[in-house]
Amino acid sequence: MALRNTMMNFSSRAIHTSAICNQIIKLTRLRVVDNSDIGKQAMVEGKPPKCIHIYNKIGVGYIGDKVLVAIKGEKKKGILVGLKQNQKTKVPKFDSNNIVLIDDSGTPLGTRIHVPIPHILRTILKNKTHAKGADYTKLIAIATRFV
Amino acid sequence: MHGALKMSAAVGRVLSQQMRQSLKVLKSLAGKKNRCFSASVPIPKEGSVSNNEQKSVNRGKSADPLECRFMYPEFLPDPKPEYRNSLREKLERADMMARRSKIDIPEFYVGSILAVTVSDPHAPGKSNRFVGICIKRSGCGLRANFILRNVVDNQGVEVLYELYDPTIQKIDCLRLEKRLDNELLYLRDAPEEYSTFSFDMEPEIIPEGTPVPVNDLKVTLKPQPWLEKWERKDLKGVRDIVVNQKREMKAKAALKPWEKYDLMKIYRETIPEEEQKEIFAEVYSDLHNLEITRQKMKRQRTFIRPKKSG
Amino acid sequence: MSLILKTLTSIQSFSNLLKPGIEVTTLAKRGAKRLNPYPKKRHPGWLPRPTHVLYKDDITPENTKFIKEVVETRFGKPDVGLGMQSKSISPLRNEPIEPQTEWKEGMRRTGVIAKKIGVYPMWLKDGTKVLSTLLQVIDNHVIRYMSPEEYAPVIQRNNIRNRLGCLIVGAESMDPQLFTKEYCGVFNESGVLPKRMLGRFLISPNAALQPGTPLYAAHFKPGDYVDIRGKTIDRGFQGVMKRWGFKGMPASHGVTKTHRRGGNIGSGGTKARVMPGTKMPGHMGNRWRVFRGIRILRINTKYNVIWALGPHIPGETNSLLYMYDTVLPTRKPSTAPHFPTYLPSIQENPVEEELWAEDVHRFDDPCIEFIEETK
Repeated sequence: MALRNTMMNFSSRAIHTSAICNQIIKLTRLRVVDNSDIGKQAMVEGKPPKCIHIYNKIGVGYIGDKVLVAIKGEKKKGILVGLKQNQKTKVPKFDSNNIVLIDDSGTPLGTRIHVPIPHILRTILKNKTHAKGADYTKLIAIATRFV
Repeated sequence: MHGALKMSAAVGRVLSQQMRQSLKVLKSLAGKKNRCFSASVPIPKEGSVSNNEQKSVNRGKSADPLECRFMYPEFLPDPKPEYRNSLREKLERADMMARRSKIDIPEFYVGSILAVTVSDPHAPGKSNRFVGICIKRSGCGLRANFILRNVVDNQGVEVLYELYDPTIQKIDCLRLEKRLDNELLYLRDAPEEYSTFSFDMEPEIIPEGTPVPVNDLKVTLKPQPWLEKWERKDLKGVRDIVVNQKREMKAKAALKPWEKYDLMKIYRETIPEEEQKEIFAEVYSDLHNLEITRQKMKRQRTFIRPKKSG
Repeated sequence: MSLILKTLTSIQSFSNLLKPGIEVTTLAKRGAKRLNPYPKKRHPGWLPRPTHVLYKDDITPENTKFIKEVVETRFGKPDVGLGMQSKSISPLRNEPIEPQTEWKEGMRRTGVIAKKIGVYPMWLKDGTKVLSTLLQVIDNHVIRYMSPEEYAPVIQRNNIRNRLGCLIVGAESMDPQLFTKEYCGVFNESGVLPKRMLGRFLISPNAALQPGTPLYAAHFKPGDYVDIRGKTIDRGFQGVMKRWGFKGMPASHGVTKTHRRGGNIGSGGTKARVMPGTKMPGHMGNRWRVFRGIRILRINTKYNVIWALGPHIPGETNSLLYMYDTVLPTRKPSTAPHFPTYLPSIQENPVEEELWAEDVHRFDDPCIEFIEETK
């Protein structure tokens, strides 16, 4: 027991102990949940992307918001498709902060999303899509499962 | 100086004697009427599992209306005196019964597995079904809510539902059981297999009159970091929580062993027993009738099923 | 001669010093030089002037009991608002006056005094959850009507159009032994038990009611908009962060002793003073506030309860507040309300027990379902 305790002492040094931020702000680590090459590699290497900008006026990312991430030394855009923070009733809350990488026109970089996507995202993304701007509804098409 | 010390020592002794006496009284109280105090504590903190099983509610026929407070805890109002009003509580109960007459809200506890079907304007079929383990129940009156947790495609998902929300079409209790704790929020830091449930799970049928089974499953948490300081929560359903010395010492310092003797704290947490009796005497007959109709429906369903398979 | 005079005056001044004299010093009157002076406390015309006379009746406990019995046999048990139909209808005037005029736009009718009894959620038909405040119209009776001439006599002949009368409404009947003789005398005209709270509503003379007329929750209709005036929760002396929502100052980075303080309140130079109306710590709450344009979602006519939209109606739970038709021009009713009030005796068909606004989901309705759009 004592040995285990000392081991815990030793090992816990490496763990950062700052308070958990329940919001998507700049420098939040995110999880890529699609099968794009760059996203897969980053997650396998243990270097998850970092949020470096949020495309709204409050600087806090909520579900369906577009973010700019730094991933493997590159800048990519992504859509938040699942959040850890508390949600409204009937909206699912996830155990990780998930993003799907997209390009400027709103087309996803991958071809599959391997985690469930909330149903409310259909409505949110449909509202965000403009006729002449980016079309985000392609993201819904590559989702495999909804909750 | 010396005299003062003596005095204080004497006072301390007297105090400690009084404390001891009060503790005795409290202990006898706790032994006898542990369950009468609080509704939010379905399982008494002191006592073994076998004790729990003896005391747990007999389903189907609850002779004592007061036993309903474990089955239907949301019928008890917020005990805060500044929010209480007997007429408001009465109207709220009437509304709750009106809703219950339209939708079958089954008996369930923290640890039970539920399937909830809601009408969802965002979903393609305009309805959405979610299955999961109930990890928390809170709120009273029409504000009552519960959280379901499940792991779908290796991704933990939690949904908060309101019990009296009219968009809920159906609530099914797939597996009726209790766990050792009143909140299972630690499942967020437990391995995935503890909160993985299949969406096409068949409802398990428990024979009538049997007490609600208590699942004494103990989970092992994942290594740190955790979402909360679980070592401080006095969790029954978690196998040996090991933390480093510093956290252990801090947990020890944060212990409040006197709280279980704090009569005023217990008093403030719930409303008096007489009022609880009054409330459940009012809704008992309606609730009982609803339960009887539900059992009838269940029997019909169980009767039909073998026909289908055969 | 001059020397004698000098000595005399010196003696006089000396003796003045020896004499005990009264010195008059003027003290600064508090609040006298305020920019906005405190409102003048006016005595309400319908209440007797307070006489500071202590009545010593020396009633024996048996007699107290007897008086209570007499009161109960005459007026019935006091209405506690728990569904018991109040028997406390005025024995003097059971027949309320017939409405003489039809309702026209711009007419003002009376309001009611209600008790805030709690907040709970309700759902609309589109599935959204709203919080509603429950307001119980508790044992309301008209106490007195004062005509415009009586209430506000014309001093200047400038504006004599749209003159409003005043209707005194009382809520919550109480044991008359708890009040002074003078206060009980206020209720002689209406013939009801003395009330806990009296309120004044300005009405057009067409909407006048006879004293003793009971007012019910059905005075309003679901979907109507009302203004509610209540006394906010008393929070005592509070700092700027709680009282005005200031941000405070940082918790660290060298900040000492000024974490919840307001900071600077003004500059020097020509304006070397605190500007009037500066937000500073002080007493918070316990003030009359009007919350305008609140929608009524539902009315229970049995218990006289009104469900109003929104959780933030001024006052604590179980406090009394005034409720009247809104003065907001865009939310005034277009159809006729019950004018001058809801009178069960003249109503052709009695109102239902539960009245609901159109967009509110009733709790005994089936579940809400959304229909798929077909294109």
